[in-house]
Amino acid sequence: MRRLAAVARLLLGLLRELADESAYRRHLAAHGAAHSPEEWRRFCDRRLRAKYHRAKCC
Amino acid sequence: MWLVVASVCIYLTGFRFYAKFIAAKVMALDNTRATPAERLRDGHDFEPTNKWIVFGHHFAAIAGPGPLVGPTLAAQFGYLPGTLWIIIGAVIGGCVQDFVILFCSMRRDGKSLGQMAREEIGRVGGFTALLTVLLIMIILLAVVALVVVNALKGSPWGTFTIAATMPIAVLMGLYLRYWRPGKVLECSVLGFVLVVASIFGGQWVSQSPAWAPWFTLSGIALAWAVIVYGFFASALPVWLLLAPRDYLSTFVKLGVVLMLGVGILFVRPELKMPAYTQFVDGTGPIFAGKIFPFCFITIACGAISGFHSLISSGTTPKMIAREWHAWPVGYGSMALESFVAVMAMIAACVMQPGIYFAVNSPAGIVGAAPEQAVATITSWGYPVDVPAMTELARDVGEETLFNRTGGAPSLALGMAHIFASSGGGKAILGFWYHFAIMFEALFILTIIDAGTRVGRFMLQDLLGHLHKPLGRTGWLPGVIGASAAVVLAWGYFLVQGVRDPLGGINSLWPLFGIANQLLAAIALCVATTVLIKMHRARYMWITCIPLAWLVVVCYTAAIQKIFSGLPRVGFLAQAEQLRTALESGKIAAAQAAATRQQIFNNQLDAAVCAIFLILVTTILADSIRLWIGILSGNREGRVTESPFVLSQLRAEEL
Repeated sequence: MRRLAAVARLLLGLLRELADESAYRRHLAAHGAAHSPEEWRRFCDRRLRAKYHRAKCC
Repeated sequence: MWLVVASVCIYLTGFRFYAKFIAAKVMALDNTRATPAERLRDGHDFEPTNKWIVFGHHFAAIAGPGPLVGPTLAAQFGYLPGTLWIIIGAVIGGCVQDFVILFCSMRRDGKSLGQMAREEIGRVGGFTALLTVLLIMIILLAVVALVVVNALKGSPWGTFTIAATMPIAVLMGLYLRYWRPGKVLECSVLGFVLVVASIFGGQWVSQSPAWAPWFTLSGIALAWAVIVYGFFASALPVWLLLAPRDYLSTFVKLGVVLMLGVGILFVRPELKMPAYTQFVDGTGPIFAGKIFPFCFITIACGAISGFHSLISSGTTPKMIAREWHAWPVGYGSMALESFVAVMAMIAACVMQPGIYFAVNSPAGIVGAAPEQAVATITSWGYPVDVPAMTELARDVGEETLFNRTGGAPSLALGMAHIFASSGGGKAILGFWYHFAIMFEALFILTIIDAGTRVGRFMLQDLLGHLHKPLGRTGWLPGVIGASAAVVLAWGYFLVQGVRDPLGGINSLWPLFGIANQLLAAIALCVATTVLIKMHRARYMWITCIPLAWLVVVCYTAAIQKIFSGLPRVGFLAQAEQLRTALESGKIAAAQAAATRQQIFNNQLDAAVCAIFLILVTTILADSIRLWIGILSGNREGRVTESPFVLSQLRAEEL
C-alpha cells in the first residue's frame, strides 16, 4: 500500500513538473513571494519565453 | 507478443550491461560531484529533481511524431527490417547518443549542442551546427505539416476536431491567465474534456449536410490554412495558444502511449504484414529506394535522432541531481521512445497488408480510381477489394481511405483497431480513429507553432547582425517579417509536397530523415571529441560505431536522392524525366507551368540535400583533423569541464 502511494506521489509529481506547477512553487519560494495572479503572470512570461526559445523534438 | 517481449529484453540487457559499462568505465559518473542543478540552483532552470520525474520530463520532451510515423512508413518493407533497426539502432546508437550528450552537457553547466560544438571542435563546427539545425527545422516543419494535411484532406470530422482545438487552447490560455492562474492541471483536464467533446462534435458535423461542406477541404486549402495558422501562432503571445496546447498535448501524448502499450498487451494483436515484402528491392509504393539505406533513413527518431541531442543539451542536464541519474534518464528514456516506435510498427502491421498499401499508396502509383488501386495492390500479392475499403471508411466515418498518404491515417487505423478490440468493437472504431488523428495532429501543430517561433528567433538573431532593429524580438515589423520568412520557407516545401503526384512523402520524408540523422552525426562528432579529450580514446568506438554507420547510411541515401538514375529515387533524374516529357510535347499545355514548377522543386530538393552533405562533411572533416591532432600529440586536447565541486545534496532533497 505504501509503495502504491509512493508511485501515485511520483506520478503526481511528474504531472506537476510537466505542468510547470512545481516550477511555479519553486519560483515563489526562491523569491519569497505569495501566489497571486500577477505573480503567476510574471513567472509564466519568464518561463514560457525561455521554454519556447528551444525547438520541440520531432 | 513475442516482438514486445523480445524488444523489452534487449532494451533491459542494453540498459543493464552496455549503458552501465559506458556510465562506469567510459564516463566515470561520480555521485559525489555536484551537478549544475545543485551548483547553479536558481529555482527556475537549474533545480535538482527526482530522477523519475526528470525521466518522465525528458521522455515527454523527446517523444514526437517521428517514432510513430517513421515505422508506419517503413512497414512497406515488412515488419522485421524496421523492427530490427529500431531495436539495434536504439541500443547501440540512439540511446548512446542521448546519454553521452546529456553527460557532456551536464559536465559543462548545461551547455547546448551548438555551444559545445563551438568549444570542443571549433568555430566552424559551432556555426555549421547552428545552420544545420535551422535548415533541418524548415524541412521538419514542412514534413510534419504534410502529415497533418494528408490526414485531414477531405475529412470533415477530422478537420472540425482539429479546428476546434484552437479555440479550446485559447480558452485554456485565458482561463490560466485570468480566471484560475497557476491551475495548469485543472485547466488541462478541462481542455481534454472539451477536445473529446469536439470529437463527438466532429461526427455530427460530418453527418450534417449543411456543415460538412465547410469542413471538407482539399489538400491545398488545408496547406494554406496550416501556413496562415503557423504565421499567427508564431506571432501571438505564447500564453494564449502555444503553451496551453503544449500542456494538453504532452498529457494526451503520455496517456495515449500508455494506452497503446496496455492495449497491445491486452489484445495481443496478430501481425498481418509479412516479415519482409518484395519492396525491399526499392520498388515500394510509399517511398522509393532499397531497404539499404532507405529503411534506416525512414525510421529516424525511433532508432537514433539528432533532435534528441538538442533536448539532452537543453533543459534536462539542468535538472539532474546526481550524475548517475543520467543513466536512466539519458539511456532509459530513449529506450522507451524506441519501444514506442516498436508499438507503432505493430499498430501499422495489424492491418491486412492490402488495406495498409491502399491507404498509404499515392494516386500517382496505384491510380486514383478505387478499382484501379485495388487491382494494382492485389496484383502485388496483397488482396484487397473496394467493398472492404468502403466498409472500413464508413466504420471510421470517412468518405474514402484510398491514397491517404503520410502515415497518420494508417497509424490511426491500427491504433483504433487495437483500442476498439479492447472493448466496444466496431461501434466505436470511428471515435478511436479520430481520437488517434486528433492526438497526432495536436502535437504536430504544437511542433509547428514552436518550431516557427524558434526559426524566427534564429533568423532574427542572424539578421540583427545586418540591421540591429531586425534582431529585436519585440520589434513588430521584425517579428512579422521574420515569422513570414520562416513560414514561407516551410510553407513552400509543404505546398510542393501536397502538389507532388507521388504524394510528397516520397521526396520530403527521406530529406527529413537524412537531415535528422546528419544532426545525430554532428552530435556524435562532439561526443567523440569529448571522449578523446577525456583520455578515453580506447573507448571512442562506442560513439564511432554509430557515427560511422550514420555517415555511410546518410551519404549513400543523400547521393542516391541526388544522383540516382531512377526518377522515383533521384531528384535530378525526375527533373530530367519531366523536362524530356515537356520538350517532347507529351505534357498538355495546361500542365506545362505545373511541370516546370515540379522540375524546379526537384532541383531545389537536390540542392537542399547537397547543402546538408556539405555542412556535415565540413564538421566531420574538422572533427577528424582535431582527433588526429590530439591522438598524435600535435594538438592540445584540454577538457573544458566545469571544475569538481563536492556535492552537498542530502538524500531527502531528492
